[in-house]
Amino acid sequence: MGATITKIEYFLPETILTNDDLKHQFCDYDFVNFENKVGIKSRHVVNENETALDLAIKACEKIFNDDTLKSDIDFVLYCSQSPEYFLPTTACILQDRLKLNKNIGALDFNLGCSGYTYGLSLAKGLIQSNQAKKVLLVTAETYSKFIHPEDRTNRSIFGDAAAATLISHSIDNNIGDFLFGTDGSGFDKLIVKNGGARNDFDLNCKIKDYGTGNKYTDNHLYMNGPEVFNFTAGVIPKFTKELLVKNNLKIDNVDQFIFHQANAFMLNFMRKRLKISESKFYIDLAFTGNTVSCTIPIALKEYSKKIKFSEKIMLVGFGVGLSWSGGLISINKSL
Amino acid sequence: MKKQEFINKLKEELEVEIEVTIDTSIKDLDEWDSLGAMILIAFVSDSFGVTLSADDIKNISTFKSLIERIGLEKFE
Repeated sequence: MGATITKIEYFLPETILTNDDLKHQFCDYDFVNFENKVGIKSRHVVNENETALDLAIKACEKIFNDDTLKSDIDFVLYCSQSPEYFLPTTACILQDRLKLNKNIGALDFNLGCSGYTYGLSLAKGLIQSNQAKKVLLVTAETYSKFIHPEDRTNRSIFGDAAAATLISHSIDNNIGDFLFGTDGSGFDKLIVKNGGARNDFDLNCKIKDYGTGNKYTDNHLYMNGPEVFNFTAGVIPKFTKELLVKNNLKIDNVDQFIFHQANAFMLNFMRKRLKISESKFYIDLAFTGNTVSCTIPIALKEYSKKIKFSEKIMLVGFGVGLSWSGGLISINKSL
Repeated sequence: MKKQEFINKLKEELEVEIEVTIDTSIKDLDEWDSLGAMILIAFVSDSFGVTLSADDIKNISTFKSLIERIGLEKFE
Protein backbone atom coordinates (compact mmCIF):
# COMPACT_ATOMS: atom_id res chain seq x y z
CA MET A 1 0.00 0.00 0.00
CA GLY A 2 1.29 3.42 -0.88
CA ALA A 3 0.62 7.10 -0.42
CA THR A 4 0.67 9.87 -3.03
CA ILE A 5 0.38 13.64 -3.00
CA THR A 6 -2.57 14.17 -5.33
CA LYS A 7 -3.30 17.86 -5.02
CA ILE A 8 -1.99 21.11 -3.55
CA GLU A 9 -3.76 24.44 -3.32
CA TYR A 10 -2.67 27.57 -1.54
CA PHE A 11 -4.18 30.89 -0.57
CA LEU A 12 -2.47 34.23 0.00
CA PRO A 13 -4.21 37.09 1.84
CA GLU A 14 -5.29 39.99 -0.36
CA THR A 15 -3.05 42.68 1.12
CA ILE A 16 0.32 42.88 -0.62
CA LEU A 17 3.24 44.58 1.07
CA THR A 18 5.87 45.48 -1.52
CA ASN A 19 9.46 46.55 -0.96
CA ASP A 20 8.37 50.00 -2.18
CA ASP A 21 5.74 50.11 0.57
CA LEU A 22 8.39 49.23 3.15
CA LYS A 23 10.74 51.83 1.65
CA HIS A 24 8.22 54.54 2.66
CA GLN A 25 8.70 53.59 6.29
CA PHE A 26 12.38 52.60 6.16
CA CYS A 27 13.57 55.25 3.71
CA ASP A 28 17.30 54.85 4.42
CA TYR A 29 17.35 51.14 3.60
CA ASP A 30 18.62 49.75 0.29
CA PHE A 31 15.73 47.49 -0.73
CA VAL A 32 17.26 46.94 -4.20
CA ASN A 33 20.20 45.19 -2.56
CA PHE A 34 17.79 43.29 -0.30
CA GLU A 35 15.79 42.11 -3.29
CA ASN A 36 18.92 41.03 -5.18
CA LYS A 37 20.35 39.07 -2.28
CA VAL A 38 17.30 37.75 -0.41
CA GLY A 39 15.12 37.34 -3.51
CA ILE A 40 11.92 38.89 -2.13
CA LYS A 41 10.01 41.66 -3.93
CA SER A 42 6.70 41.51 -2.05
CA ARG A 43 4.80 39.43 0.47
CA HIS A 44 1.15 39.03 1.42
CA VAL A 45 -0.01 39.90 4.93
CA VAL A 46 -3.30 39.42 6.74
CA ASN A 47 -5.42 42.32 7.93
CA GLU A 48 -6.21 42.75 11.61
CA ASN A 49 -9.34 40.61 11.58
CA GLU A 50 -7.97 37.83 9.41
CA THR A 51 -6.42 34.69 10.92
CA ALA A 52 -4.41 31.70 9.74
CA LEU A 53 -7.59 29.62 9.96
CA ASP A 54 -9.36 32.03 7.58
CA LEU A 55 -6.55 31.51 5.07
CA ALA A 56 -6.60 27.75 5.67
CA ILE A 57 -10.33 27.51 4.94
CA LYS A 58 -9.86 29.34 1.64
CA ALA A 59 -6.95 27.08 0.63
CA CYS A 60 -8.94 23.96 1.55
CA GLU A 61 -12.06 25.06 -0.34
CA LYS A 62 -9.94 25.14 -3.52
CA ILE A 63 -9.07 21.46 -3.03
CA PHE A 64 -12.64 20.24 -3.34
CA ASN A 65 -14.44 19.64 -6.63
CA ASP A 66 -16.36 16.82 -8.36
CA ASP A 67 -13.34 14.51 -8.09
CA THR A 68 -12.37 15.35 -4.56
CA LEU A 69 -15.29 15.28 -2.18
CA LYS A 70 -15.28 16.63 1.34
CA SER A 71 -16.81 13.36 2.43
CA ASP A 72 -13.67 11.51 1.30
CA ILE A 73 -11.42 13.18 3.85
CA ASP A 74 -10.83 10.95 6.86
CA PHE A 75 -7.99 12.80 8.62
CA VAL A 76 -6.96 16.44 9.04
CA LEU A 77 -3.42 17.43 10.03
CA TYR A 78 -3.21 21.14 10.78
CA CYS A 79 0.24 22.71 11.13
CA SER A 80 0.40 26.23 12.58
CA GLN A 81 2.04 28.40 15.20
CA SER A 82 -0.80 30.90 14.85
CA PRO A 83 -3.65 28.91 16.44
CA GLU A 84 -7.14 30.37 16.59
CA TYR A 85 -7.26 29.91 20.41
CA PHE A 86 -5.08 28.38 23.14
CA LEU A 87 -7.82 25.78 23.12
CA PRO A 88 -9.67 24.17 21.42
CA THR A 89 -7.69 22.58 18.61
CA THR A 90 -7.91 24.64 15.42
CA ALA A 91 -8.25 21.46 13.32
CA CYS A 92 -11.59 20.78 15.06
CA ILE A 93 -12.90 24.20 14.04
CA LEU A 94 -11.62 23.59 10.51
CA GLN A 95 -13.56 20.28 10.38
CA ASP A 96 -16.76 22.12 11.18
CA ARG A 97 -16.16 25.14 8.97
CA LEU A 98 -15.42 22.87 5.99
CA LYS A 99 -18.32 20.58 6.92
CA LEU A 100 -16.11 17.51 6.82
CA ASN A 101 -17.36 14.21 8.19
CA LYS A 102 -17.58 13.83 11.95
CA ASN A 103 -16.05 10.35 12.02
CA ILE A 104 -12.58 11.66 11.11
CA GLY A 105 -9.35 12.35 12.97
CA ALA A 106 -8.20 15.96 13.31
CA LEU A 107 -5.23 17.36 15.17
CA ASP A 108 -2.98 20.41 15.32
CA PHE A 109 0.76 20.21 15.38
CA ASN A 110 2.94 23.15 16.29
CA LEU A 111 5.92 23.37 13.98
CA GLY A 112 7.27 26.14 11.77
CA CYS A 113 9.47 25.72 8.74
CA SER A 114 9.96 21.97 9.27
CA GLY A 115 6.19 21.43 9.54
CA TYR A 116 5.27 20.52 5.98
CA THR A 117 7.77 17.70 5.64
CA TYR A 118 6.73 16.41 9.07
CA GLY A 119 3.09 16.50 7.93
CA LEU A 120 3.81 14.49 4.78
CA SER A 121 5.55 11.82 6.80
CA LEU A 122 2.70 11.67 9.34
CA ALA A 123 0.14 11.42 6.53
CA LYS A 124 2.11 8.60 4.92
CA GLY A 125 2.22 6.80 8.29
CA LEU A 126 -1.54 7.14 8.79
CA ILE A 127 -2.22 5.79 5.30
CA GLN A 128 0.31 2.95 5.35
CA SER A 129 -0.90 1.78 8.76
CA ASN A 130 -4.42 1.68 7.33
CA GLN A 131 -5.77 4.36 9.66
CA ALA A 132 -6.70 6.78 6.88
CA LYS A 133 -7.18 6.86 3.11
CA LYS A 134 -7.34 10.57 2.31
CA VAL A 135 -5.44 12.95 4.55
CA LEU A 136 -5.87 16.72 4.32
CA LEU A 137 -2.60 18.32 5.40
CA VAL A 138 -2.98 22.03 6.07
CA THR A 139 -0.23 24.51 6.83
CA ALA A 140 -1.31 28.03 7.77
CA GLU A 141 0.82 30.81 9.18
CA THR A 142 0.53 34.51 9.97
CA TYR A 143 3.90 35.55 11.43
CA SER A 144 3.10 39.15 10.42
CA LYS A 145 0.91 39.33 13.54
CA PHE A 146 3.96 38.57 15.73
CA ILE A 147 6.42 41.01 14.15
CA HIS A 148 7.11 44.46 15.64
CA PRO A 149 6.17 47.24 13.16
CA GLU A 150 9.74 48.61 13.37
CA ASP A 151 11.41 45.25 12.77
CA ARG A 152 12.38 45.90 9.16
CA THR A 153 14.28 42.68 8.59
CA ASN A 154 11.56 40.28 9.71
CA ARG A 155 8.80 42.31 8.08
CA SER A 156 10.80 42.08 4.84
CA ILE A 157 11.39 38.35 5.10
CA PHE A 158 8.14 36.80 6.32
CA GLY A 159 4.83 36.56 4.48
CA ASP A 160 1.47 35.03 5.46
CA ALA A 161 -0.13 32.10 3.63
CA ALA A 162 -1.99 28.84 3.92
CA ALA A 163 -1.61 25.66 1.87
CA ALA A 164 -3.72 22.53 1.64
CA THR A 165 -2.31 19.23 0.43
CA LEU A 166 -4.28 16.09 -0.27
CA ILE A 167 -2.42 12.85 0.39
CA SER A 168 -4.24 9.77 -0.87
CA HIS A 169 -3.94 6.05 -0.54
CA SER A 170 -2.49 4.61 -3.78
CA ILE A 171 -1.20 1.36 -5.24
CA ASP A 172 2.27 2.73 -5.88
CA ASN A 173 4.07 4.44 -3.05
CA ASN A 174 5.18 7.95 -4.01
CA ILE A 175 6.24 9.15 -0.58
CA GLY A 176 9.68 7.78 0.23
CA ASP A 177 11.80 7.76 3.34
CA PHE A 178 11.91 10.69 5.73
CA LEU A 179 14.36 11.74 8.43
CA PHE A 180 14.03 14.18 11.33
CA GLY A 181 16.21 16.32 13.54
CA THR A 182 15.67 18.31 16.72
CA ASP A 183 17.86 20.61 18.81
CA GLY A 184 15.81 22.33 21.49
CA SER A 185 18.92 23.99 22.93
CA GLY A 186 18.27 26.57 20.21
CA PHE A 187 14.66 27.20 21.30
CA ASP A 188 15.37 30.89 21.93
CA LYS A 189 16.99 31.60 18.54
CA LEU A 190 13.58 32.17 16.97
CA ILE A 191 10.91 32.85 19.55
CA VAL A 192 7.88 34.84 20.69
CA LYS A 193 8.69 34.91 24.42
CA ASN A 194 5.54 36.36 25.94
CA GLY A 195 1.91 35.37 25.82
CA GLY A 196 2.25 31.63 26.48
CA ALA A 197 2.26 29.77 29.81
CA ARG A 198 5.86 30.70 30.76
CA ASN A 199 5.65 34.48 30.39
CA ASP A 200 2.52 36.65 30.40
CA PHE A 201 1.88 39.07 27.57
CA ASP A 202 3.35 42.33 28.94
CA LEU A 203 1.50 45.55 28.14
CA ASN A 204 4.52 47.64 29.25
CA CYS A 205 7.10 45.60 27.42
CA LYS A 206 10.43 47.35 26.85
CA ILE A 207 11.47 48.01 23.24
CA LYS A 208 14.76 46.32 22.33
CA ASP A 209 17.11 46.96 19.42
CA TYR A 210 18.88 44.29 17.38
CA GLY A 211 21.77 46.69 16.79
CA THR A 212 20.95 47.11 13.11
CA GLY A 213 18.07 49.52 13.64
CA ASN A 214 15.51 46.72 13.88
CA LYS A 215 13.28 46.83 16.95
CA TYR A 216 11.28 44.23 18.87
CA THR A 217 9.86 43.47 22.30
CA ASP A 218 9.46 40.16 24.11
CA ASN A 219 5.81 40.21 23.00
CA HIS A 220 7.04 40.04 19.42
CA LEU A 221 8.90 37.61 17.21
CA TYR A 222 12.64 37.62 17.82
CA MET A 223 15.09 35.97 15.45
CA ASN A 224 18.80 35.61 16.10
CA GLY A 225 19.77 35.82 12.42
CA PRO A 226 23.45 34.81 12.71
CA GLU A 227 22.67 31.77 14.88
CA VAL A 228 19.78 30.63 12.68
CA PHE A 229 22.06 30.98 9.66
CA ASN A 230 24.83 29.00 11.36
CA PHE A 231 22.41 26.26 12.38
CA THR A 232 21.10 25.95 8.84
CA ALA A 233 24.52 26.11 7.18
CA GLY A 234 25.98 23.65 9.70
CA VAL A 235 23.19 21.08 9.83
CA ILE A 236 21.17 21.05 6.62
CA PRO A 237 23.78 20.18 3.94
CA LYS A 238 24.90 17.18 6.04
CA PHE A 239 21.27 16.22 6.71
CA THR A 240 20.53 16.34 2.97
CA LYS A 241 23.36 13.89 2.34
CA GLU A 242 21.92 11.56 5.01
CA LEU A 243 18.54 11.79 3.26
CA LEU A 244 20.13 10.77 -0.03
CA VAL A 245 21.74 7.73 1.62
CA LYS A 246 18.46 6.82 3.35
CA ASN A 247 16.69 6.82 -0.03
CA ASN A 248 19.58 5.07 -1.85
CA LEU A 249 20.14 8.01 -4.16
CA LYS A 250 22.94 10.25 -5.32
CA ILE A 251 22.48 13.96 -6.04
CA ASP A 252 22.35 13.20 -9.78
CA ASN A 253 19.38 10.83 -9.30
CA VAL A 254 17.21 13.55 -7.79
CA ASP A 255 15.31 15.67 -10.33
CA GLN A 256 14.68 18.64 -8.06
CA PHE A 257 15.57 19.79 -4.58
CA ILE A 258 12.91 21.91 -2.92
CA PHE A 259 14.13 23.29 0.39
CA HIS A 260 12.16 25.51 2.73
CA GLN A 261 12.28 28.91 1.01
CA ALA A 262 13.93 30.80 3.87
CA ASN A 263 15.83 33.35 1.81
CA ALA A 264 17.63 33.14 -1.52
CA PHE A 265 21.08 33.95 -0.12
CA MET A 266 20.96 31.15 2.44
CA LEU A 267 19.51 28.71 -0.11
CA ASN A 268 22.29 29.45 -2.58
CA PHE A 269 24.89 29.07 0.16
CA MET A 270 23.61 25.54 0.86
CA ARG A 271 23.21 24.74 -2.83
CA LYS A 272 26.88 25.53 -3.42
CA ARG A 273 27.96 23.51 -0.38
CA LEU A 274 26.04 20.53 -1.74
CA LYS A 275 27.29 21.13 -5.31
CA ILE A 276 23.78 21.04 -6.76
CA SER A 277 23.25 22.85 -10.07
CA GLU A 278 20.93 25.87 -10.13
CA SER A 279 18.52 24.10 -12.49
CA LYS A 280 17.93 21.34 -9.95
CA PHE A 281 17.50 23.59 -6.95
CA TYR A 282 14.25 25.52 -6.59
CA ILE A 283 14.42 29.13 -5.46
CA ASP A 284 11.41 31.37 -5.79
CA LEU A 285 10.09 33.46 -2.98
CA ALA A 286 9.89 36.73 -4.89
CA PHE A 287 6.17 37.37 -4.40
CA THR A 288 5.44 35.44 -1.22
CA GLY A 289 8.51 35.80 1.01
CA ASN A 290 9.22 33.21 3.69
CA THR A 291 5.78 31.79 4.49
CA VAL A 292 7.15 29.37 7.12
CA SER A 293 5.49 25.92 6.78
CA CYS A 294 3.79 27.02 3.54
CA THR A 295 6.90 27.65 1.43
CA ILE A 296 7.43 24.02 0.40
CA PRO A 297 3.84 23.28 -0.72
CA ILE A 298 3.70 26.61 -2.60
CA ALA A 299 7.04 25.84 -4.30
CA LEU A 300 5.99 22.26 -5.01
CA LYS A 301 2.74 23.33 -6.65
CA GLU A 302 4.50 25.93 -8.79
CA TYR A 303 7.33 23.56 -9.74
CA SER A 304 4.89 20.74 -10.59
CA LYS A 305 3.32 22.85 -13.34
CA LYS A 306 6.19 21.86 -15.65
CA ILE A 307 6.35 18.18 -14.68
CA LYS A 308 5.69 15.86 -17.63
CA PHE A 309 7.11 12.54 -16.39
CA SER A 310 7.53 11.17 -12.89
CA GLU A 311 10.16 13.16 -11.01
CA LYS A 312 11.99 12.44 -7.78
CA ILE A 313 11.88 15.51 -5.57
CA MET A 314 13.73 15.93 -2.31
CA LEU A 315 12.05 18.18 0.25
CA VAL A 316 13.87 19.65 3.26
CA GLY A 317 12.34 21.88 5.95
CA PHE A 318 14.29 23.57 8.76
CA GLY A 319 13.88 26.34 11.29
CA VAL A 320 12.20 27.31 14.56
CA GLY A 321 12.57 24.74 17.34
CA LEU A 322 15.24 24.18 16.25
CA SER A 323 13.67 21.51 14.09
CA TRP A 324 14.33 19.97 10.70
CA SER A 325 12.94 17.19 8.57
CA GLY A 326 12.96 16.05 4.99
CA GLY A 327 12.16 13.25 2.62
CA LEU A 328 11.78 12.09 -0.93
CA ILE A 329 8.57 12.20 -2.95
CA SER A 330 7.67 11.34 -6.54
CA ILE A 331 5.34 13.55 -8.57
CA ASN A 332 4.19 12.83 -12.12
CA LYS A 333 1.72 15.65 -12.84
CA SER A 334 0.82 19.23 -12.16
CA LEU A 335 -0.60 19.35 -8.65
CA MET B 1 45.11 34.80 1.88
CA LYS B 2 46.74 38.17 2.47
CA LYS B 3 44.93 40.53 4.84
CA GLN B 4 44.45 43.20 2.19
CA GLU B 5 43.12 40.64 -0.28
CA PHE B 6 40.61 39.47 2.35
CA ILE B 7 39.50 43.04 3.06
CA ASN B 8 39.08 43.74 -0.66
CA LYS B 9 37.06 40.58 -1.25
CA LEU B 10 34.83 41.17 1.76
CA LYS B 11 34.32 44.75 0.65
CA GLU B 12 33.14 43.39 -2.69
CA GLU B 13 30.80 40.87 -1.03
CA LEU B 14 29.25 43.60 1.09
CA GLU B 15 29.16 45.94 -1.92
CA VAL B 16 30.87 48.66 0.07
CA GLU B 17 31.44 51.75 -2.06
CA ILE B 18 33.94 53.74 0.01
CA GLU B 19 37.63 53.00 0.52
CA VAL B 20 38.30 50.92 3.60
CA THR B 21 41.42 50.13 5.64
CA ILE B 22 42.17 47.57 8.30
CA ASP B 23 41.07 50.14 10.89
CA THR B 24 37.69 50.88 9.31
CA SER B 25 34.77 50.01 11.58
CA ILE B 26 32.61 47.45 9.77
CA LYS B 27 29.46 48.42 11.61
CA ASP B 28 29.80 52.09 10.72
CA LEU B 29 29.58 51.26 7.02
CA ASP B 30 26.33 52.33 5.35
CA GLU B 31 26.03 48.81 3.96
CA TRP B 32 26.14 47.11 7.38
CA ASP B 33 22.87 45.47 8.44
CA SER B 34 21.46 42.04 9.28
CA LEU B 35 21.87 40.98 5.65
CA GLY B 36 25.51 42.13 5.79
CA ALA B 37 26.01 39.98 8.90
CA MET B 38 24.73 36.93 7.02
CA ILE B 39 27.00 37.70 4.05
CA LEU B 40 29.98 38.13 6.38
CA ILE B 41 29.31 34.81 8.15
CA ALA B 42 28.93 32.97 4.84
CA PHE B 43 32.10 34.54 3.38
CA VAL B 44 34.24 33.72 6.42
CA SER B 45 32.84 30.18 6.55
CA ASP B 46 33.59 29.58 2.85
CA SER B 47 37.04 31.18 2.95
CA PHE B 48 38.42 29.86 6.26
CA GLY B 49 36.01 27.21 7.58
CA VAL B 50 35.51 29.45 10.62
CA THR B 51 32.01 29.89 12.06
CA LEU B 52 31.30 33.34 13.44
CA SER B 53 28.69 33.23 16.21
CA ALA B 54 26.13 35.91 17.04
CA ASP B 55 28.45 36.99 19.89
CA ASP B 56 31.37 37.27 17.46
CA ILE B 57 29.24 39.50 15.24
CA LYS B 58 28.35 41.62 18.27
CA ASN B 59 31.98 41.94 19.38
CA ILE B 60 33.64 42.63 16.03
CA SER B 61 34.38 46.28 15.35
CA THR B 62 37.09 46.95 12.73
CA PHE B 63 38.35 44.72 9.90
CA LYS B 64 41.42 44.21 12.12
CA SER B 65 39.28 42.78 14.95
CA LEU B 66 37.55 40.50 12.45
CA ILE B 67 40.91 39.22 11.17
CA GLU B 68 42.03 38.59 14.76
CA ARG B 69 38.83 36.64 15.47
CA ILE B 70 39.34 34.49 12.35
CA GLY B 71 42.92 33.85 13.49
CA LEU B 72 46.08 35.64 12.41
CA GLU B 73 47.67 32.29 11.56
CA LYS B 74 45.17 31.91 8.72
CA PHE B 75 46.64 34.93 6.92
CA GLU B 76 49.94 35.26 5.04
